Amino acid sequence: MIEPELAAVFIGSSIRLAAPLLLAAAGEYVSERAGVLNMSVEGMMLAGAFAGATASWLTGSPLLGLLFGVLCVLPIAWLQAFLSITLRANQIVTGIGINILMLGATTLGYRALFGSRSRAEIPGLDKWAPPGLADVPYLGEHVFTQTWLLYATLLLVVGIAWVMRSTATGLAVHAAGMSPQAASHSGLKVRRIRYGAVLFTGFMSALAGCFLSIGDIHTFTEGMTSGAGYLAIAAVIFGNWKLGRTLLACGLFGAATALQFQLPALGVQVPSALLIALPYVLALLAVGGLVGRQVAPTALAQPYAGR
Amino acid sequence: MSWRTSLLIRLRPSPALLVSAVAVLLAFGMGALLIALMGVPVGEAVAAFADGAWGSPYALAASLNRALVFMLVGLGFILAERANLTNVGGEGQIAVGGIAATAFALWAPVAGLPWGLSFVVPLLGACLAGALWGGIAGVLKVKAGTNEVIATLLLSFIAIWMVYGSVQSENLLRRPMTSSATLPESLEISEATQLPLLTGDASMPLHAGLLLGIVLGIVVAVILRRTVLGLQLQATGLNPRAARRAGMPIDRLTIGVLCAAGAFGGLAGACMLQGEQYTLKAGFSSGYGFDGLVVGLLARGSVPGVIAGALLFGFLRSGGINMEMVAQVPTALVVVIQGLIIVTLAGAALGIQRMEARKP
Repeated sequence: MIEPELAAVFIGSSIRLAAPLLLAAAGEYVSERAGVLNMSVEGMMLAGAFAGATASWLTGSPLLGLLFGVLCVLPIAWLQAFLSITLRANQIVTGIGINILMLGATTLGYRALFGSRSRAEIPGLDKWAPPGLADVPYLGEHVFTQTWLLYATLLLVVGIAWVMRSTATGLAVHAAGMSPQAASHSGLKVRRIRYGAVLFTGFMSALAGCFLSIGDIHTFTEGMTSGAGYLAIAAVIFGNWKLGRTLLACGLFGAATALQFQLPALGVQVPSALLIALPYVLALLAVGGLVGRQVAPTALAQPYAGR
Repeated sequence: MSWRTSLLIRLRPSPALLVSAVAVLLAFGMGALLIALMGVPVGEAVAAFADGAWGSPYALAASLNRALVFMLVGLGFILAERANLTNVGGEGQIAVGGIAATAFALWAPVAGLPWGLSFVVPLLGACLAGALWGGIAGVLKVKAGTNEVIATLLLSFIAIWMVYGSVQSENLLRRPMTSSATLPESLEISEATQLPLLTGDASMPLHAGLLLGIVLGIVVAVILRRTVLGLQLQATGLNPRAARRAGMPIDRLTIGVLCAAGAFGGLAGACMLQGEQYTLKAGFSSGYGFDGLVVGLLARGSVPGVIAGALLFGFLRSGGINMEMVAQVPTALVVVIQGLIIVTLAGAALGIQRMEARKP
């Protein structure tokens, strides 16, 4: 029999671990829908985590940290867009290149700025529980009391779903990723749409990075994203390029990560490496077609030579 | 045309070479600027870098051993690239190669084989493991139409954690625990299973894998330039439908070439383990596969390009480590330089293509 408190802690930490993935994955979803395989989410998350933590530490205000995180990541997203859309560079190469660059730059910056002061506590985002829900036994404390950014994440995802499904903008994004030629003929500016989508991914990745550093653990560590960006891409694939399923995939990945902290507490001996690898195995099975047919946007990762 | 003029024409720097050289120089310039900004005398840092990269027989051997790993992964990459397949799974292929090499080397019957076989069998085991890992992506591509970039990337992450798992469990490769302080790593492999040192002298630990690398470099160059197989791969890459119409077994070619690329990665993992580290540790391949991938990408399909890139990255890594120890410049600087080189060259690719197309 599992104690209710332990179960509540598990659910709460699954949600908390899924949230940064969801932010990044929702951003990546938009970019891939527009036809750009944005591999640099990992690097942009890392940059966001670093810039957010630094600004929060310097100003004492996590909100300014969040703002600064976003402002610093937008130029990086622009670089990704410029390389892959205007210069038509290989999207995988540019993504990995930017990830390597950001890993180096943030590590260097961290050493230069924090140096011996590392491990310094950084002012973090406030926790909050929706009124009424805070008093539910067990759940109120462990599940619903979360960083407010988590609730903002859910709102953002609902907003993205609405825009993508019901507005002209959403339709244009879909068109740019499915058939750029046809979209261009009907008067849409494909490149501009793709630029917008990649910049939006940058915005979401920055929030995801800030969630890690100033939302969750209140510090920055070198290379702290450790593959979360790639996991977000895996979530989009696992979600078959649909937002609802991507959300479920993030929840699943979050739970798999939470399990690795919970199982030892329950006395279950499962190698933690197995659990950490689990999301990647699931994603591989998904792209291998074991979870139904995969329907990627047809022009995904193909540069568009026209306007 | 006399051989002299034809040689001269060949030696005329191509746009690609020029752009690459400029990109590398720019990145180095940027690195020097960052060093100066950090308040470290640039001369001192450069001296430390050179010392660590090629300043002593030991440093030179370490750089060349690293370069070999990058070269093997890069060779596998350009082989697959010829068929228009992008193998980004070098990291995972190195990891499974390392696991297999360790498992074979620690297996008593193998360690007891006559000298020569005792280190060749683990090497072959690693090739097989790497081929299997690359082959999964090939089979998925052929059977399910899965993009090989995504498959090889996911396989890499799985393999990295497999290394962690295999050294964490005593039932697998973890050394028997003698105290609670026993690290999660394998036993050291026996001397018979280690790759012999070319100089026979530990002050210059250049291992025999280098010879293998040279041979394989020639083999890949010949395959790409002079064989039917190279042509078939190219045809498959350029227009799979036409290639199939022409009777080429493109499914088999696709799976086969990804297996081959994987085998190169596995071999690279075995060389790291049997040539340098001798003990399997979690994270033993930290980033080598991704560096090798970049070397392959930058080589633009040529074996000399792979060799040049591998040497560059090998020296960068060794020099960077020494720069951190001696001049207190974080190795992250070298990572920044690598990132800059990749981004610049990727961005310049379209321009290079156009310049090359304009060439008579």
